Amino acid sequence: MYKILCLLVLLGTGFSLTAQSFDVTGIITDAESGDPLIGASVIVASGPGDGNVRGTVTDLDGSFTITDLTAGAELRISYTGYAPTTVTVENSDPLTIELGSDVQALDEVVVIGYGTQTKRNVTGAVSTVDSETITDLKPQKIEQALQGTVAGVNVTTQSGAPGAGLNIRIRGVSTNGQNAPLVIIDGYQGDLSTVNPADIETITVLKDAQAAVYGTVGANGVILITTKTGEKNQPTRISYNAYVGTQESSRSLDLLNATEYALLLNESYAAGGQALPYPNATNLGAGTDYQDQVFGNAPIMSHDLTASGGSDRITYSIGGSYLDQEGIIGGDKSAFTRATGRVSLGVDLASRLKLSTNLIYTYLERNSLSENGLGSVLFNALNTPPTLPVTDENGDFTLVPNTPGLGIEVINPAAQIANTYNDYNLNKLNGQATLDWNLIDDLTLTGRVGFNTSNSESRVFNPLISYGGKVFDVTRSSVNQNGINDNNYSIDLFGTYDRQFGEAHQVTATVGTTIFRELGNGLFATGYDVPNNNVEFADISLATGTSPEGARDVSSYSYDERRLSYFGRVQYNYNERYFASAMLRRDASTKFGPQNRSALFPSFTAGVIVLDENTLADNSAIDLLKLRVSYGILGNDQILNNGYIGTLSGEATYVFDGVLVNGTAIGALPNPALQWEEAKKFNAGFDLNLLDYKLSVVADYFINTRDNLLISNIPVSGIVGTAAPGSAAPTVNAGAVRNRGLELALNYRERLNSDWRINLNYNFTTLDNEVLEVNNGTGFIEGGGFGVGQLAPSRMEVGLPIGYFYGYKTDGIFQTADDVEGAPSQIALGAEAQPGDLRYVDTNGDGVIDPDDRTYLGDPISDMTMGFNAQVSFRRFDFTAYAFASLGGEIVRNYERALSDVNRLDYYLQRWTGPGSTNEVPRVTNAATANRVFSDFYVEDGSFLRLQTVTLGYTLPLTIGSRDNSSLRLYFSGNNLLTLSDYLGYDPAASSGAPIGSGIDFGFYPIARSFLVGANLSL
Amino acid sequence: MHKLKTTFLLGAALLISLTACEEDFIGRDPVYSIDSENYFNTPPDYENALIAAYDLLQPTYLNVLLGEIASDNTLAGGESANDVIGFQQVDDMIHTPVNDQVGNIWDWMFAGVNRATFILEFQDKIDFDGKAQIIAEARFLRAYYNFELVKWFGPIPIKPEARFALGDENSIPRSPVSEVYALIESDLMAAIPDLAATAPQVGRVPKAAAQALLGKAYLYQENYTSAAQVLQEVIQSGNYMLEEDFDGIFEPAGENGPGSIFEVQYSDAEGAGFGCLQCSEGNIAVGFNGIRNYSGPVFDGGFSFNVPVQEAYDAFEPGDSRRDVSILDIEAWADETGATYGTGYEHTGYYNRKYIARKGDTNIGDQNLTNPNNYRAIRYADVLLMAAEALNATGNDEQAREYLNMVRRRAFGDEDHDISASGDALRDFILAERRLELVGEGHRFFDLVRTGRAAAEIDGFTAGKNEVFPVPFEEIQFSGGNWEQNPNY
Repeated sequence: MYKILCLLVLLGTGFSLTAQSFDVTGIITDAESGDPLIGASVIVASGPGDGNVRGTVTDLDGSFTITDLTAGAELRISYTGYAPTTVTVENSDPLTIELGSDVQALDEVVVIGYGTQTKRNVTGAVSTVDSETITDLKPQKIEQALQGTVAGVNVTTQSGAPGAGLNIRIRGVSTNGQNAPLVIIDGYQGDLSTVNPADIETITVLKDAQAAVYGTVGANGVILITTKTGEKNQPTRISYNAYVGTQESSRSLDLLNATEYALLLNESYAAGGQALPYPNATNLGAGTDYQDQVFGNAPIMSHDLTASGGSDRITYSIGGSYLDQEGIIGGDKSAFTRATGRVSLGVDLASRLKLSTNLIYTYLERNSLSENGLGSVLFNALNTPPTLPVTDENGDFTLVPNTPGLGIEVINPAAQIANTYNDYNLNKLNGQATLDWNLIDDLTLTGRVGFNTSNSESRVFNPLISYGGKVFDVTRSSVNQNGINDNNYSIDLFGTYDRQFGEAHQVTATVGTTIFRELGNGLFATGYDVPNNNVEFADISLATGTSPEGARDVSSYSYDERRLSYFGRVQYNYNERYFASAMLRRDASTKFGPQNRSALFPSFTAGVIVLDENTLADNSAIDLLKLRVSYGILGNDQILNNGYIGTLSGEATYVFDGVLVNGTAIGALPNPALQWEEAKKFNAGFDLNLLDYKLSVVADYFINTRDNLLISNIPVSGIVGTAAPGSAAPTVNAGAVRNRGLELALNYRERLNSDWRINLNYNFTTLDNEVLEVNNGTGFIEGGGFGVGQLAPSRMEVGLPIGYFYGYKTDGIFQTADDVEGAPSQIALGAEAQPGDLRYVDTNGDGVIDPDDRTYLGDPISDMTMGFNAQVSFRRFDFTAYAFASLGGEIVRNYERALSDVNRLDYYLQRWTGPGSTNEVPRVTNAATANRVFSDFYVEDGSFLRLQTVTLGYTLPLTIGSRDNSSLRLYFSGNNLLTLSDYLGYDPAASSGAPIGSGIDFGFYPIARSFLVGANLSL
Repeated sequence: MHKLKTTFLLGAALLISLTACEEDFIGRDPVYSIDSENYFNTPPDYENALIAAYDLLQPTYLNVLLGEIASDNTLAGGESANDVIGFQQVDDMIHTPVNDQVGNIWDWMFAGVNRATFILEFQDKIDFDGKAQIIAEARFLRAYYNFELVKWFGPIPIKPEARFALGDENSIPRSPVSEVYALIESDLMAAIPDLAATAPQVGRVPKAAAQALLGKAYLYQENYTSAAQVLQEVIQSGNYMLEEDFDGIFEPAGENGPGSIFEVQYSDAEGAGFGCLQCSEGNIAVGFNGIRNYSGPVFDGGFSFNVPVQEAYDAFEPGDSRRDVSILDIEAWADETGATYGTGYEHTGYYNRKYIARKGDTNIGDQNLTNPNNYRAIRYADVLLMAAEALNATGNDEQAREYLNMVRRRAFGDEDHDISASGDALRDFILAERRLELVGEGHRFFDLVRTGRAAAEIDGFTAGKNEVFPVPFEEIQFSGGNWEQNPNY
């Protein structure tokens, strides 16, 4: 490629010497205020065939000089926030060029899937995030850039651990199955989680029936990623961005100290009629806060480098990046590293034939600790008694005693971190090549091949370890290794016919086909008896042992899934005022049963510009009003593979002659009628521009109804044998969920004068989720887990939000024996109540408290989410702040082990101690109580407001050699500086993302607070 | 315009050709999988499917554990009053149709029925030497699972010719107990001639197991004549004997011993988790029965469920060697050995010593779920006592006493404790002996029920209701009115 570039540069130089030349100077000003504009870009836009790209930027006075111009040369002037303009230079007279405000909002080109549209013509609910926002937010993972920046999109973290997954939900949770949106990168199906954020030019989110062009994969919404490319006729620009910083825990919980713990334990034992465990608690002091032992400061560092530019026939962009992040828990035991390289190239092969291609290589490495479960590091940090020192006098980790009060799951978290070795790494190559053939003026044929190929490896070393008789003791060291290959490719062929008929009729028609195939395999193996019990030797090749005869130390899987699609779309507009489009897609997929192999997905959108410059007076406050409506049917095929055939994939292992023998058994039962989930999406909204396009308002109301929910392992009668090992009930289309909501996005941007610019964004989304059908015989599906051995706390049930919390309602605390006497018996929950115990509500009024009294206790779905973003720049200073809020969701406190001797949060200092002492927190006692069953005592308001990013930057102009359009920006940035919430746990924003069972907190790894210092160098 | 037409025609041709490819492209066979409906093509296919049918014996740990908890022998125990609520409710006889544990028994036993029936469904597909033995084993296993089901739930749906299919719950009725027993009997009678006296491998079914189970099924129906006859065939075969020493029966070395007619085989060779208890190759009941927070010799710890009550301990006469083998007095043991232990919920001071964890297994995780202790499902002593009971009922007290006293002589090591009663008094002695001999083995509740003594012996037991357990709530819902709940639930 360099050869081609060099050749073109040489050619261009040759041309420029042939005519007489002169220099020109000029000044660029704001058309309204007359203020000079600093840093505006001036490019010599030469005619075809001249590959010489030159340009400059204006200095502090707004002036510029361009040398060696010939008469008739064109200068293209552009500046962010202003409409670009082009002037023709005939002689060397000084120029004064005024730039007017940009009404770019309407000319902006929006990617809509198999094509683009100008924003004015868009009739679907489409939102975009640009690279500036990504630069502001500096996300380690690109999903973070969507949180709070796009109405209707909610992003939750599964964990604060570096590299942990994030869940994106577009307009709510619509299914008990896979809710993740489709991700299309430069036209082919991709994966968001491995993308380097710095490679992205724009993110477009299709939220409504507009996504129907993606048919059976579009129901969860579509995220279209456009990666950076070079621009034509631009000199090589190099940008280098780097930051370094430190991270710390954003929160630590208030636990009892050793003295408080001992006294409370004494009280608890006394109440249970047992001897005091700490007859003398005077010299215990504060003891150990195990949170301090697991949390630490962790460094973070990121670099990325991009070179881009183009001649009149070629564009290119080449980049690389490196991110290294340690975890705030366990340091490098939860570290994340990502390195990427990218090449993007566009070539005009002929005047009507264009090739664009790019290739991205990604390497990831991630270590992880046990998280968000019974026995996770934080769970242990919260439950280990503060009276235990971390290490004993020999420097060995203290063992948490194996006593009834501490159980067999709580272990010393510091020892746990030291003995955890989980490594994962991924190599991935993805890319595409697109050929656009402008066959005749109105018709373009596009062919595209996109692919992803990745292989990942992981290795877990389980050293021989004793935690003192706990379930995590390992009596035989082992190493688990696996290798997974995932590959897919897509081939698109489509034609776009775009023609103006007469004065007013504009038609764009698109017809095409897409083939998608994914195939891969995984191989898993375990070796036992690692030499020296040392991670240095933790490889199957060195491990000497195997499992006893008959036990399988290896396993594997393979898949080959395919989809064949045809689609068509017609877009029509009349006078750029009345818009309509209709889409139809047909998909055939290997995911579906033979009875329902293919599906048709129709949709339409329409819009009308009610008010615009043609109908409004010049001084009107309103600039433009567009009404939009859309309706369509989309599908979701994200279900298990081969669910329509019965296979012998069950588990059959028994013992003959004293050794394990393996046979074959039936796996999940088939459902030959298996078909896609069907999403019916209605959207109505308007776009309003006010105050000379300074203020824009986008509002939408949506109703999404998801029918034929694919309920996998649907509860069915046990007589069919689905409870057998490795078997499962069939996947059946048997449910429906509706999400309704309102979205509003406001943007106000104004250049107050040449010094001050502001850009304010606010958006909110309301969500009303209701399950409409669960046709599985019982009317509900259970999920999630609370405590140990308790009934499932989460449900999907008709008339209520999906995944709502189902348990006992409380009505304060029994204060006196008379209170208890007069109340329904709670014996069915495990113990008769005593004064000081939680009083449960007899919701069904049958005079006893039993599992039938369980009821709705809240749900993890936020009623409203909102984002507020501000960018202010003053001369060379820039300031940005991003905040996000989630209101009305509930979260379950489930990190307290229900055992007598574990540590507790300090709200127990306000426990019930006698009549009238409190009506909130029950007594502490070793005796049997029903206080630990899942009730609203454990359900908390998960609302929060989080200040995600605050950045202050300063830009220095640079002159390097002959080029004076360089700049260096330095900034300080703080992330997750503040979270306002009443929630007692670490992070109200965390969620497992499971449709049924999310919002249950076993001790989420909290998101880190980080402080960064960084630089953006542009040359 | 001509060019445009050509393009469209080309495009259309392309689309048509692609459509033709659709069948090829989408109609692919799944990679590396075997279709369950196109199986049984070679003898090993039958053998492999038979392993699958045996596999569901391992989850019967729950039948044993919960059956014992339901009886007057033990309390539920565990960590707290809420620990495995399904156990606690059964212990207190306050269980309802919503009970996970009872539901598991329903689900797991029907899974066993279906896996055995899968083989029977395709039994005529090919012929080969040794097929008769395999089919006979499948029949035995189906009878075993159906017997568990009828014991726990009374009337159940049956479908002799094929596996249950989805929708059968709406059309196949719950057959009366007599019809279920008829199927059990016919399966066993068909199996007995084809089963070898000595099973081809340790862990597989010998002829005597099918005879003993048939005898037990007769006994439960009070068909004493047939019971006596078939049980005596086992005794007279001479293939089994009472181990000399009661002490060794439940130790690892005693597994598959001469007094063991049928054992559910367990292993500690493979890990297991709470996510799929029925997938474990270990005896989960052993970990559940285990001593809470135990540290000391001989035994390993566990979850302190299913703890024997004082009354069961006291039921043994002085000199009965079975008491200290069957029930561990943890306080005395701790005093003697210096062992330490914790006290869980409903701590009685006693543990079910037959089935608590022993040291020496590999403790693969989760070690409480992977104990290798086999369950001695049908013991020769059980056969002797069943035969004695049947003979007593048919008037042959002499032979009945003989069998009863064989069991007692081993227990006491002398003939001084022989029973000389007859008639109803003898029957009482035989039933009392069953409790002592078989305590901790999951038989007691069902013995009390079938002899009409449950209401008198079990706290909270409601006659006319608790003789059987409720059909799981969901099953009644799934059946859409086809099945009625058991009386009074």
